[in-house]
Amino acid sequence: MIGASPQKAPIQARKKKGFFKTLWEQKQLMLMSVPMLLYVFLFNYFPMWGWIAAFEKYNPKLGPFKSKWVGFDNFKWLFNRADFLESIRNTLAMSLINLVFGTLAAILLAILLNEVRTRAFKRTVQTVTYLPHFLSMVIVVGMAQNIFASTGTVNNLLLKTGLIDTPIFWLGEKKLFWGLVGVINIWKEVGWNSIIYISTMTSIDPTLYEAASIDGAGRFRRILHVTLPGIKSTFVVLLIMNIGHLMEAGFEIQYLMGNSQVLEYSQTIDVFVLKYGISSNEYGIATAAGMFKSIVAIILLFSANFIAKKLDEDTLI
Amino acid sequence: MRKLTAILLALAMLLSLACAAMAEEPITVTVFRGDPGDQPTDDNKLYKMIEEEFGIKFEIEFLAGDLDETLGTKISGEDYPDLFDGGNSAEKIINAGALIDLMPYISEEKTPNLYNHVKDLLPQLVNENGELFIIPNYGINYNAQIQNACNGPAFFLQKQVLEWAGYPQIKTLNEYFDVIEKFLAANPTDKNGTPYTGFAILCEDWRHFCLINPVQHLMGRPNDGEVIVNVNSGNWETETFIDKPYAKPYYKKLNEEYKKGLINKDTFVMNYDQYIAALSSGTVLGMFDQTWDFGTATQALETAGMYENTFIALPLVYDPEYVDGKVISEQYLNGAVPNKDRGFGISINCEDPERMINLFENLLSDKWQKLLQWGVEGEDYYVENGRMLMTTEQYNNRSDASWQMRNTAKAIWESAPKKQGTQDDGNAWAHSDQPENYFNLMSDYDKAFLSAYGYQKPADFFNAPCTLAPYGEAWQIDKTPIQLDYNDFLAIQDKWLPIIIMSADDAEFDANWAAFVEEITPTAQIYTEFMQAEVLKLVEQATK
Repeated sequence: MIGASPQKAPIQARKKKGFFKTLWEQKQLMLMSVPMLLYVFLFNYFPMWGWIAAFEKYNPKLGPFKSKWVGFDNFKWLFNRADFLESIRNTLAMSLINLVFGTLAAILLAILLNEVRTRAFKRTVQTVTYLPHFLSMVIVVGMAQNIFASTGTVNNLLLKTGLIDTPIFWLGEKKLFWGLVGVINIWKEVGWNSIIYISTMTSIDPTLYEAASIDGAGRFRRILHVTLPGIKSTFVVLLIMNIGHLMEAGFEIQYLMGNSQVLEYSQTIDVFVLKYGISSNEYGIATAAGMFKSIVAIILLFSANFIAKKLDEDTLI
Repeated sequence: MRKLTAILLALAMLLSLACAAMAEEPITVTVFRGDPGDQPTDDNKLYKMIEEEFGIKFEIEFLAGDLDETLGTKISGEDYPDLFDGGNSAEKIINAGALIDLMPYISEEKTPNLYNHVKDLLPQLVNENGELFIIPNYGINYNAQIQNACNGPAFFLQKQVLEWAGYPQIKTLNEYFDVIEKFLAANPTDKNGTPYTGFAILCEDWRHFCLINPVQHLMGRPNDGEVIVNVNSGNWETETFIDKPYAKPYYKKLNEEYKKGLINKDTFVMNYDQYIAALSSGTVLGMFDQTWDFGTATQALETAGMYENTFIALPLVYDPEYVDGKVISEQYLNGAVPNKDRGFGISINCEDPERMINLFENLLSDKWQKLLQWGVEGEDYYVENGRMLMTTEQYNNRSDASWQMRNTAKAIWESAPKKQGTQDDGNAWAHSDQPENYFNLMSDYDKAFLSAYGYQKPADFFNAPCTLAPYGEAWQIDKTPIQLDYNDFLAIQDKWLPIIIMSADDAEFDANWAAFVEEITPTAQIYTEFMQAEVLKLVEQATK
């Protein structure tokens, strides 16, 4: 629940009434939340019993109760595999790139649009920048593969302008993969991600801007001292949520754009799970990898929340 | 009077209802095909006939996306169709217990067609417990086997390259790249100004055989996957070839051609769709592949009338200089290989397996085999002096995808047991195998091309098929017991071979090759040991 500190007192006062009395008073609300609770239980908590496969040499023919119990062997195997450790690194690296540059780009675009006075122009830019969000990743990667091919637009442009003399092997150079994913993700999501910042900015009290102007603040001063503090709480809430998702660097783009040449830098945990679990029938190993990912995600989420609390900011949990 | 008529009518209706109920109840059978395909139309001619005769309607699901992932999803949810074709990964569904053993259903009395179909091959087809899960979809020949063209692996070259060079015989690796180089020097671009690519290598996923398989053929062996088996010594010594010194010259040659610009870097990162698109555009001059793997590209080129851009299969071997002066004789064509564990199995979810077996039994009859492979006499072919023939239109219809959707039961036929080779009256079982149809109805360009070589059919470029080794073809061996090591074995090749081909100079090439051999040796050893044991087991089973 998102709650600012002044509200804390009344909540405590209400607690004295007793849990069941409060429950009864809010029966309509409780009833309304039942479907969501059921949904979460059925699709998020109930399937967790499948984690048992992480400790087994799981065989679909025998099922979870008859498969051989192997304890932590699957985990041991995973952490001795270079490609699993690489996939952890890749997941975190691409996530961080997305998080840092994605957020910066979104905020930058929001500020720029916020400063634009022409309504028509602002609308047009906003629409154009968020449209790619609705494109399927398959299409985006298909386009990227054409644009970045050795005879593609990017190489042609660089060759014609004389910046390079041999085409760059964008799609097969492993060191370039993270950057490419970052650029494509930002292009695809920047408009969408900026919407929430734009809406926060429109809710900033205009009198603050007026007051700042009267005090002699120029455009940059106003951005720095009015706009940015205005979106701070949104930024923190989004940051906490995103840190919880840090272990999800996406799956489609790495799966579609990865190839044997860039595998060391393209394979994320999700791709790894798919490769071993579904394609190679090593369900136990794949479950162990997925379980590891979930546990790290939970730890990350709680630490981010804890730090935010310490900084006396809005918290999520 | 009117009343009487009404009563009689009602009686007649009741009677006909009762009759219908006595015949087998109409059912809908769910089907999964491990390949992509086109849904037949609702008024499809053959499916209608099947429905009328057997009361069976099909609900077909084709593969969309990755096969292993699709099968894995079906296995984890036990979501099996009645007729289950696991495509190239059928071992997975067998090992997961998705299919029923067919042996109890097949007997000489009850199912004579099926029984005769498999009886000679049973020792090879059943597993250690004597179970048979899948009746092979291809490779069981009746009477004489017919081979008009190479349907499997070969080096391919655009026909116009040979036409331009005056129809030379191309038999070795050096001759092959030599003619491509010369053609490229004279014709750098096609009519539209698009530059030609000299040689393409598809490396994506399981189709990486285009990258990793050629060496065995250059050494004069048919397709055994990733191993070479010594069939002459009597001990069936099995070894991986990719890490051996005799593999190095091939990749060295590719490296040289890469440096000369014949091979484009993009080939190592392209996916199957991009590869097919490139071949279909007619700008790729050559590649190593298997005929069936780029059938859509061939069809597209033929439909566009670009016959000079279609490919001819060539059986290349190493030049003597690469193998200590030894002259290698090519052996690309193998004896008919029963396509073990490929085709339809019946899943444990099927409610009436007996009926499915009866369906296959009936479809294997001569009458239905003719309907499935040739169509309806008078509509899809005609008979003259006992020979089954086709007009040009009828022949062209057969390769028209939208015509197929309306008039053939392709989706079922492809995965069902079928008769191949020659009928008892001398006609070919497959319409495409019939020699008259094959030569008379091919394009004028192809006729002129073959005539220039003095050949009747593309298979004349090849030596006659050899006898099939008792173990079959080694690529068919199920590798799931060493799945993880096998994955690594392949992944190391996927990673290193492109790097090796893209080496900048000889020193770098040698260093890369040495690093590759060092990295692959441990898994190659595990793989060799496993394959050796399996080959011996199969030989023993077959000679029992």
